[in-house]
Amino acid sequence: MLTLQVSRTERYQSHRSSLASAPSAAMNWCAFSPIREVNLSQDLKKQLIAMLPRLRRFARTMTRSATEADDLVQEACLRALSRSDQWNPDHPLDRWVFRITRNLWISELRKRQVRLGQGHVPAEETSELVNRDTGEETMAATQLKGKIAALPQDLSAVLLLVSVEGYSYAETAELMEIPIGTVMSRVHRARKLLAKEIAEPVGADR
Amino acid sequence: MTRDHEKLSAFLDGELSPEETREIELALESSAEMREELESLMASDRAAQDEFAAMLDEPVPIELASKVENAPVLSAANSPSKPSSFTWLTAIAACLALIIGGAGGYLAGSTNNTQLASAPGWLEDIADYHRVYAGQERHLVEVAASEADHIETWLTKTVGARVKIPDLSQHGLTFRGARLLVAAGKPVSQLMFTDELGQVVALCLIQTDTPADGFTQRTIDGFEMISWGGANANFVIVGDEGRADLKEIAQTAAVDA
Repeated sequence: MLTLQVSRTERYQSHRSSLASAPSAAMNWCAFSPIREVNLSQDLKKQLIAMLPRLRRFARTMTRSATEADDLVQEACLRALSRSDQWNPDHPLDRWVFRITRNLWISELRKRQVRLGQGHVPAEETSELVNRDTGEETMAATQLKGKIAALPQDLSAVLLLVSVEGYSYAETAELMEIPIGTVMSRVHRARKLLAKEIAEPVGADR
Repeated sequence: MTRDHEKLSAFLDGELSPEETREIELALESSAEMREELESLMASDRAAQDEFAAMLDEPVPIELASKVENAPVLSAANSPSKPSSFTWLTAIAACLALIIGGAGGYLAGSTNNTQLASAPGWLEDIADYHRVYAGQERHLVEVAASEADHIETWLTKTVGARVKIPDLSQHGLTFRGARLLVAAGKPVSQLMFTDELGQVVALCLIQTDTPADGFTQRTIDGFEMISWGGANANFVIVGDEGRADLKEIAQTAAVDA
């Protein structure tokens, strides 16, 4: 049992280390020039396309809807490309694009909330907004399949980042704009809910 | 739910201090209930990882990939003395045209110049991808070689043609993992190998109903490429320009992939 814990830790540390120190071919293009700009943007575009499956998965944990997730991912990629001058190729691309994706979604939720006349909502509380008043969450959740669909949105996104993407609690906290302690409790709650779902599955076909 | 229980998750994630880790280890040694709970959390993790991994198998809508691929890039609008991307692309096209005209017959008896002349744009995209990813030592691949079965299933399903990882060890190449690319508006599988010097060789596959005849060698953007057609697909092997054993690697891959 302890061996498993160590191997997971090593895997994550390796992943985190790679996130922190990812070298890039672009680092070697020392002279800043318009050609470099063009190449950087083209590189960014190709890396974004390669990331689309992971971006869609991350987006879906927040939107709960496949259609909305694809719209969100498209908007996030276009936003990243329009701001490619802000991309530092020496830093991991996924953190930057996940953050753009997450910020766009929070912005969308806030717009919906304002439209509903409920004013500004802090980022930490936006998960409570997910189509709460329209009843759409329950319907849309069917587009997240399996046991993960049983998790509230704020738990599934954090579980994905920590347990699958290999983000540290601190990295997850920074990305999701929540305290580290909240990351820890959400990851634990997610696992407990999944354990319950495994032991007592609700509905055979979701 | 107490903080101590939450610490079990943090223990699983390697997020505790050495002292806290030791405390949990001692508790696990003495408490069957704790061990049971840890097992339960680990089972939850496995379930989540399986389900999240399966989401990567879902094909990306080609409309989404195309919109990103065709999106304008920042530099075109902002560069004061912008070198037009037209010039850049034209240079590649001219380079391709030269090679098309001059490199026929590299592999005796198997080259088809008619097909060279209509060489699809996907090879240019592959050259771009190779330039980006071959320099990514730690981020070389999207899915690691340890998940070889998953790679073959996932890419076969996504690309629409059978993807098999060839054994290229006789050429000193080790399989490192795979990526999914989009080239010429279609999904492309990219299997990445490295030699003992860390040089990257990639094998890419794109589905086609009209596979090429024979082998073709060309150089695009500083990379050596040998392409050929197989069952329901076109293949290309990519390495650094001047790599002497690419022809032999291609022949092995053509048999084994």
